[in-house]
Amino acid sequence: MTDLSEVGFLGLSGGLLAIGLFGILTRRNFILLLIAIEIAMNAAILNFVYFAAFSSGAPGLTGQSIAVVLIGFAATEVAVGLGIVLALNRVKGTINVAYATELKL
Amino acid sequence: MILEELAFLALASVAVATAIASLLVRELVHTILWIAIFFVDLSAIYFLLDAPFLGVLQLGVYAGAVTILLLFGIMTTRKRIFSREAATGIGAVPFALAVVTFIFLVAAVGEFPQSSSPITVYDPAALSANLFNVNGPWLLLLGLIMLAAVGGAIYLVREGRE
Repeated sequence: MTDLSEVGFLGLSGGLLAIGLFGILTRRNFILLLIAIEIAMNAAILNFVYFAAFSSGAPGLTGQSIAVVLIGFAATEVAVGLGIVLALNRVKGTINVAYATELKL
Repeated sequence: MILEELAFLALASVAVATAIASLLVRELVHTILWIAIFFVDLSAIYFLLDAPFLGVLQLGVYAGAVTILLLFGIMTTRKRIFSREAATGIGAVPFALAVVTFIFLVAAVGEFPQSSSPITVYDPAALSANLFNVNGPWLLLLGLIMLAAVGGAIYLVREGRE
């Protein structure tokens, strides 16, 4: 059906990974950090879907299956991350990641 | 053909712009709005790649559940929802690292064999057989990790931790 360029797709996922990496390294707010991780994970999922679309038979379907599992993992990670955010906010009154080490037992 | 390429170009530019905007705006609620647009945009890209099941899953899980979860996170941690964040700046080293990563990844694109058009035809029966039979263990692992995550989240937010 479609004739989409490989460079465009892989460039997009590379760009999204770079944006996510930049966010992970610079943002101090825990929720922004979670969002940056989500952007980077979406770049990886996009790669799986892209390569699945260009493989025939079982490999193509396996790519889509792995993408389904990865979406589930990402949602789980956000749930646990928000649990940490709530705990940090209650203990320290802030959601700055610099204080996250003080949650240790 | 040209229409699909134009659609991809438009979707890709919106994806990059919203991803950058979500990390740079200073009001957290605006961040959530931008990231919701980003998730919907990626779901449109999945539809373009002939993966409608993943597109719908992306809409339901990311644009729906994750966005609402993040909004709840903001609502429960601040006194005023629309308060602004302190500017954290861009930072030269992280920016350079991100640019180097991007250039490295784009330079590696040439290593892959060039392909012409998607050849996987969407077939829900074949996809579900692959998902539940061939990749069944991964799905089981996902279920177990989600169960552990529920326990972990309850442990984290329980009373009496101060």
